[in-house]
Amino acid sequence: MNSAVDMPLPKTMKGHVPGETGIWVFVLGDMSVFALMFGTFLYYRALDVDLYMRSQATLNQNFGAINTLLLLASSWFVVMGVDAARQRRTRAASTLFASAFVCGIGFAVVKFFEYHEKISAGLTLTTNGFYSYYYMLTGLHFAHVSIGLVLLGFMWAKSRKPLTEAKQIMLLESGATYWHMVDVLWIVLFPLIYLLK
Amino acid sequence: MGTRGQWLCLWCGPAFLLLFGIGFWGCAGFVPPIAPSLGAADVAAYYQSHTTGIRLGMAIAMGGAGLIAPWVALITVLMLRIRGNSPALAYTQLGAGCGGIVLLILPTLIWEITAFRPDRDPQLTLLLNDMGWIMIIVPFTLATVQCLALAAAILLDKAETPVFPRWSGYFNVWIALLFVPGAVAVFFKTGPFAWNGIFPWWIPFASFGTWFVVMFAVLHRILRRQSLAVPAVPA
Repeated sequence: MNSAVDMPLPKTMKGHVPGETGIWVFVLGDMSVFALMFGTFLYYRALDVDLYMRSQATLNQNFGAINTLLLLASSWFVVMGVDAARQRRTRAASTLFASAFVCGIGFAVVKFFEYHEKISAGLTLTTNGFYSYYYMLTGLHFAHVSIGLVLLGFMWAKSRKPLTEAKQIMLLESGATYWHMVDVLWIVLFPLIYLLK
Repeated sequence: MGTRGQWLCLWCGPAFLLLFGIGFWGCAGFVPPIAPSLGAADVAAYYQSHTTGIRLGMAIAMGGAGLIAPWVALITVLMLRIRGNSPALAYTQLGAGCGGIVLLILPTLIWEITAFRPDRDPQLTLLLNDMGWIMIIVPFTLATVQCLALAAAILLDKAETPVFPRWSGYFNVWIALLFVPGAVAVFFKTGPFAWNGIFPWWIPFASFGTWFVVMFAVLHRILRRQSLAVPAVPA
C-alpha cells in the first residue's frame, strides 16, 4: 500500500522536475492521504474479511477494468501530448490532449452506470463497512477525476496554439503530473477494492 | 508604514491554537470526540461528570476563537498586495474566514448550553450533544472556500518575486480538500466515517492544526522580509 507514496519520480534529463516544483507538494500530500485511506481499508477489512469478500463479489469488475484501461490510455495520450507540445507539433498535441479528455469523460460515464447499478440494487454508502469504503474511495477519486477533466480541457485549449515559452510547457507538465497521479491512485484503488483476494 | 500591528495579528494565530487546545482538549476532554455511538444515558453521564471542565473549557475555546479574526485580516492584507489581481479573492478569504469563526463559536456555545443543566432529560442532552458535534465537523465549506481563495490568489501571482511562495498555494489546495470528508459524518455512528473516525475527525483536525503552523511560518517570513525592506521601500 506504500507504493502510492513511494512512487519514484519520473527520471528525466538533467534532473528536470516536471511541472512546477510546488505541485509536488500537493501530489505527495494527496497521495499520503490516500495511502492512509488504503491502510485503514485494509485494517477494517482484516477485522471482517468474510463480509468484505462477500461484498466485493457483488461489484462489477468489468466496469473497474474498463475504467483502468481508459485511465491508462488517457495518461498515455497526455505523455504523448506533452512531448508533441515540446516539439511544437501543435496539431498532434491538441489532438492528443482532446483524446485524453475523451477517455476521462469515458471514465465518468462508466462510473455513472456503475453507481446507478449499485444504487438500484439497494447497495449504498451505509449498507456495510465495505460499501462505505467503496463509495468514499471511488467517490473521492472521482472528485479528483472531475478536477482533472477541467485541467485537461484547459490543457487542450492551451495546446491549440504553438507554445513558445518554457512557462507554458511547464503549465502542461503540471497538469500532466496531476493527471498521472489520478491514474496511479486508481491503479492502487482498483485491485484493492475490486480484486483483492 | 509600521508593521507592529501586523506582527500582533500574526501571533494571534498561535494564541488561538493554544487557547482552543487548552479549552477544547485540556479542560473539556473533547479529544477524541464523544463517540456518536453512545446512548443518551452515557452522554448525559459524561456531561454530569465533566460539567465544570466543559463549562470552563468552552469559555476558553470560545475566547480563543475570536483571535482568528486578526489572523484572517493579516492574510487578507498580504493577499491584497498581490499585484495585478482582483481583490475579490482576498475578500472571499476574509468573508469565509470570519464566517468560519462563527462556526467554531456556535458549537462551543451549544456545548455550554448542554453543560448548563446536565441533569435534564438525557434525550435532550443527547440532542444538544449531536448538534454541537455535527455543527463543528460537517460544515467544511467555509474552510474549504477560504483555503481555495487563498490558493487561487497565490497561484495567480505573476510577479517575479511573488508575495506568497507558490508551494503554499498548492498546500492550501490540499488542505482545502482534506476538510471535505467531514460532510459524510451524518451517515455514520461508528467506524472510520463517523464523526470520531479518521476521515471526518482526525484528518481534518490534523490539517486544521497543520494549516495554522505552516501558514504561520509562511506569514512570518513575509513579514520579516517586509520589515527589512521598510526603510528602502515605503509602502
